[in-house]
Amino acid sequence: MHGSASRTAYMLLLPALLIEVVFVFAPLGSSLFYSFHRVRFFQLQEWIGFGNYLGIVGDPGFLNALLVTASFSLITLALTFGVGFALALLLNRDAATSVLMRTVVLVPYVVAMLVGSLLLKWLLSVDAGLLPLAGAWVGLDVPTILGDPDYAFAALIANGVWRDSAFAMVLLLAGLRSIPPSLIAAARMDGAGPLRILVEIVLPLLRPVMVITCARLLLHFANVLTFPLILTGGGPNSATETVALRIFRIGFEDYDLGRANAMAVLLTLFNIAAVAIMLFLFRKRGRGAHG
Amino acid sequence: MASLPRRALRLLVSLLIAAAALFPILFGLSSSFKPPPEIIRFPPSLLPAEPTWQNYQAIWQAGIGGFLGNSLLVSAATVTLCVLLGAPAAYALARYRFAGRLAAIILIVAVMSIPVASLLIPTYTLIADIGLMNTHVGLVLVYTAYQLPIVVWILAAYFQSLPEELEWSAMMDGYSRFQTLWRVVLPLSRPGLVAAVLFVVVFAWNDFVVAVTLLSSEEKRTLPIAIYNFLGFYGREWGPLLASAMVATVPILILFILLQRYFVAGMTGGGVKG
Repeated sequence: MHGSASRTAYMLLLPALLIEVVFVFAPLGSSLFYSFHRVRFFQLQEWIGFGNYLGIVGDPGFLNALLVTASFSLITLALTFGVGFALALLLNRDAATSVLMRTVVLVPYVVAMLVGSLLLKWLLSVDAGLLPLAGAWVGLDVPTILGDPDYAFAALIANGVWRDSAFAMVLLLAGLRSIPPSLIAAARMDGAGPLRILVEIVLPLLRPVMVITCARLLLHFANVLTFPLILTGGGPNSATETVALRIFRIGFEDYDLGRANAMAVLLTLFNIAAVAIMLFLFRKRGRGAHG
Repeated sequence: MASLPRRALRLLVSLLIAAAALFPILFGLSSSFKPPPEIIRFPPSLLPAEPTWQNYQAIWQAGIGGFLGNSLLVSAATVTLCVLLGAPAAYALARYRFAGRLAAIILIVAVMSIPVASLLIPTYTLIADIGLMNTHVGLVLVYTAYQLPIVVWILAAYFQSLPEELEWSAMMDGYSRFQTLWRVVLPLSRPGLVAAVLFVVVFAWNDFVVAVTLLSSEEKRTLPIAIYNFLGFYGREWGPLLASAMVATVPILILFILLQRYFVAGMTGGGVKG
């Protein structure tokens, strides 16, 4: 009886599992295989061991991309999390305006990343005339944002904050809502002010949600491709070329699939480590919630 | 009741936030109805002086109708496949205890968390090897692989919240487990189903990076790929670019506004209220 019930469960799971194995796990396996070979114009050539990996480590372009990705991820993570948290605190009420605003701030997240970055590219261009207009008001000569390495990098960060703050807000709001209101009411009765309630009750209870929100944002930003590809094209002078964009270019513009796969393997290892940490925290949270 | 200055301040802050979130989209929408010379005129105008469909006519002639059709087809096929494969898997996780259940859950969360961009090169290699390059079938299968985990996650959480007694009585009436799933459980799971479907549609409709990797010929292009190619073709001719951006945006925004409650529930991983 028990055996046949298990068999039914496996039958129900099998098709979904098969799709995951073929289209997610097999590619990762073949990627590892390719990364140890020389590949020329899609033709697998000889085994070269860690040759592709050594090439990556010695490639100044990759080191630059690593630096760009790390600084972009950390700065954008901090800002996105901060804005998301502020939005969550501000909109954590049942008033009609808060409900409406929660929908409004999610719009940039729902719009395609390609479209969002295209619209920002247009907004920041000289053609749109908005920045020169703003500059004329304050009496400043505004530089061409996307033509300057530092400003282009800042624009890339702004793109991330604009799109993803509401994502952080939604996760944090769900966390805030799971805090029993009676706890906060009791603290208020004892004379605790809003800041003290935030620091001593809300933040400790919210910690698991905050950690998971940060992990998911970090994964998203560390793998960012569409923002730089559309908004800045990785430029000027590779100032905004992220790791994912460099992989994309080496694979689909230089057709060096050996090296591109080696880079993808490294990125995947980073992602797996991040997911493993997240899963570990997930489990800890689950145990905490069920006693 | 908050005092009047406080409420005024709150309203002002809300307006500023709304402007930051929506201005790029609204200005793009407004500019898409301007004739090209007005789009780049300085100083810029907030609204078109004489609204025109001319940018939309230009992209219609460039074949946007066909790309729109491709996007609809790919999205619909992905949703169908995700529900057909995801509902049984979710049912297994919600109703059975079996060896490997925890492993299946870990696998789901792992695939849900792996960013798509890191899988592009490996997927490209595999899809080329199995001969599905430049086909909608290949694209739909890859989309399904990426979205099944979230579908299973949302549906399993919903199934678990349903009382099992209904299924028992259905099976007493002679329904098989499979019939029970399709005729009793799924119809009762509308909110969870809507959340899952909405998630898949938003992904499939919006995806750019997977499609640009797997599709090469013009007649196969989905909307985002078409816009990307317009970007190379029109360069700084913003009129057609903005118009095509709006064609891709308006349908998904309407869907989102109608069903946003479900979307938010899906983002936090299940827990959809009926």
